[in-house]
Amino acid sequence: MLLRRRDLLTTAALAPAALISHAAPARPKIAAVVTEYWHFSHAQHIVDRFLEGYGWNGEHHMPPMDLVSLYVDQKPKNDLSAERAQRFPAMKLCPTIAEALTLGGSKLAVDGVVLVGEHGNYPKTPKGQVMYPRYRLWQEIVKVFKSSGRVVPVFNDKHLSWNWEWAKDMYDTSRAMKIPFLAGSSLPVTWRTPSVEFPANAQPEEAVCVGYGGVDSYDFHGLESLQCMVERRKGGESGVRWLQAYRGDQFWDALREGVWPADLMTAALCRSHTLKPAREGFNDIFPTLDDMKRMVKNPVAYRYEHADGLKSTMILMTGLVEDFNFAARLEGRKDPFSTQLYLPMPPARTSLANFFSPLVNHMERMFLTGKPPYPIERTLLTTGLTAAGVDSLYEQGKRLETPHLSIAYKAPVESTYWRS
Amino acid sequence: MRVAIVSTVYYYLSHAQHIGDRFLIGYPLAGRWHKPDVKVVSLYVDQKPKGDQSEERAREFGFTVYPTIAETLRCGGPKLACDAVLIIGEHGDYPLNAKGQKLYPRHEFFKQCVEVFEQDGRAVPIYNDKHLSYSFEKAKWMVEASKRLKFPMLAGSSLPVTWRLPDVEMPAGAQVVEAVMVGEGGPDIMGFHALEAMQCMLERRAGGETGVRTVETLEGDAVWAAAREGKWSAELQGSALSRSDTPQGLTLQDGRTQDLMKPGVLQKLVAKPLACRIEYRDGTRATLLMLNGAIKDFNFAARLKGHARPLSTQFLLTPVPNVTYSACLVSKIEEMLTTGRAPYPVERTLLTSGLTEACLTSLAEHKRIDTPHLNVQYRPPAASQHMRA
Repeated sequence: MLLRRRDLLTTAALAPAALISHAAPARPKIAAVVTEYWHFSHAQHIVDRFLEGYGWNGEHHMPPMDLVSLYVDQKPKNDLSAERAQRFPAMKLCPTIAEALTLGGSKLAVDGVVLVGEHGNYPKTPKGQVMYPRYRLWQEIVKVFKSSGRVVPVFNDKHLSWNWEWAKDMYDTSRAMKIPFLAGSSLPVTWRTPSVEFPANAQPEEAVCVGYGGVDSYDFHGLESLQCMVERRKGGESGVRWLQAYRGDQFWDALREGVWPADLMTAALCRSHTLKPAREGFNDIFPTLDDMKRMVKNPVAYRYEHADGLKSTMILMTGLVEDFNFAARLEGRKDPFSTQLYLPMPPARTSLANFFSPLVNHMERMFLTGKPPYPIERTLLTTGLTAAGVDSLYEQGKRLETPHLSIAYKAPVESTYWRS
Repeated sequence: MRVAIVSTVYYYLSHAQHIGDRFLIGYPLAGRWHKPDVKVVSLYVDQKPKGDQSEERAREFGFTVYPTIAETLRCGGPKLACDAVLIIGEHGDYPLNAKGQKLYPRHEFFKQCVEVFEQDGRAVPIYNDKHLSYSFEKAKWMVEASKRLKFPMLAGSSLPVTWRLPDVEMPAGAQVVEAVMVGEGGPDIMGFHALEAMQCMLERRAGGETGVRTVETLEGDAVWAAAREGKWSAELQGSALSRSDTPQGLTLQDGRTQDLMKPGVLQKLVAKPLACRIEYRDGTRATLLMLNGAIKDFNFAARLKGHARPLSTQFLLTPVPNVTYSACLVSKIEEMLTTGRAPYPVERTLLTSGLTEACLTSLAEHKRIDTPHLNVQYRPPAASQHMRA
């Protein structure tokens, strides 16, 4: 859905005088600010789709905008940015973020910014978080906005920062400066099998996501999977009161004690397309608890309570599944609501990570309309939940009160996952 | 519900194993682990190569492996002793005919089942996995036998019932102008799975299915020439290709997306293209493109009258080893067992079996062939049959 140009100009005229929101031009110029660009890096999946187009709605879709500049923070041996710049000479390789945004001039010269701060060789915190420089990159972008007296929409891939304070600062700045801000994982916007939407105004009692991967990397995807569903509930999102993490023996004890609902965990596992067979000679078999213990060396769970009483549990079962599966118990419904948030994942199953296509498409919509298709508050919350999970694990599974996560927001009723 | 399984082989990842096991240990269905209310009582395996699991399954799950099909259906007793038969005639070591078709003994197995039905005065539902036969005449005999003895029959591929991306259905009664299906040819050479996927969409068109008039298979440069001449819609070909998650070539090299319709791209990737042009009796045209080397999945596009944009989708084949798409298929088999009716007509697979044969005949004879024998008529159920829950 495209707004007409005059609609946007009218909107811009009503914006506060201090920092004028951009009026999206007919063909926006986009700057990409990324950590690393190589085969299978997030920057490659995203920027390539702007450059080469992608399959969308049953045709090869070329985004109606131009990727005019690229900043790459690190260039290891397998860097692709030089090759891309050669084939796409309209894209300027810039040595600084400022130059990527001003195109060598003195003022902001682009209409949108894509910030991809995933992957790269960065130090780790004592808690094991990779210190991706999202905050630093964001600050450089904001510097140009401030000096130009103008803001444009920004997309941030994945979480805002490993550091909660910085993430909050990014959010606060975006509010204060009225920067249209979109962020998060591809999980909320990818295909679903089945293709079902969490009912708007449902009343969930419990929600579970069973996925895979590591702490501080894939837990975020599990949290976004949960959040994009439960935020649609009656009353909207009310924020999170506390979080407690489990791993290893604590995890198995908690599972046994029924800390989170076993039936929802089972429902989620039954949505998997990759449930690892527990017995040789069988290709698709439901694991016993002993099977799970044997196959999952590092189980992790974050259990947290929302302000309205909803309990959510993000579970990582690396070794048992290789996909993300959601299940929730809804008031008044006997059977759980469940689905898989399906990622066509290269290289084993596909050659393209086409779950980046709906993500890029949402970015396009924001660059053309000035409006993020879903609220930044979702990713502020999941960023905070990720950090809280890391903290709780670091503190041996202590329950942490999270008053800073009293983030209330309402989600759009219209579905934003891949359905067309 | 007592079920007998008649299979060519039963080893890990054979069709018999991933279909049969679902009746033994259950399968994921609609967000729960579902255990069918079915007892497998007997098994026949035609071949027992290395890795054969028939005996260990029989031991663990309390059934018997019999040396003949008749004994399998009678569980070693004097009369038919089961309530349904699954004929899984896929995989195993069988000769190829001159057209490259593997001579799986599906018809032969089926005939033996029918003989037991006739002798014992009772017939039960039969599921036949994949195509009915490499020969249309044999396939036709099978369907006619089921009508004559009045037993429900279900057949075909899992593609019609697996997940779709997007989850779309051909509107019932749609006026289809043209359709294109793109896929990769497996050991079948000619894509039976692709034909079933295409047929499960096209059969829903206005007037129902009334059969195929001609078939023409092109190979090699003739495919590119025909494409250039506009023998089928480039828009539909592009639409179907745009649904693929598996473009090869440069995508494998550095992960970039590609427009496979750009001049020269497909020619570079596909050493041996095949195009099967199908002309239905009601004028509908469909083209099956086997593009080995360009993509590895199955994607469909159709132009419908009154619709500005083509209808297009990918038939999702979920990964090995779980192949959860076979769970979708088993749920359909179960539906026949519990309702006593096939959820979709066996005539679909009669037609696609015949189409597979005809496409290969046309390929062998290097010319378009008339297919008056493919006047297979049927109407599909109005409700969608693929996995959506």
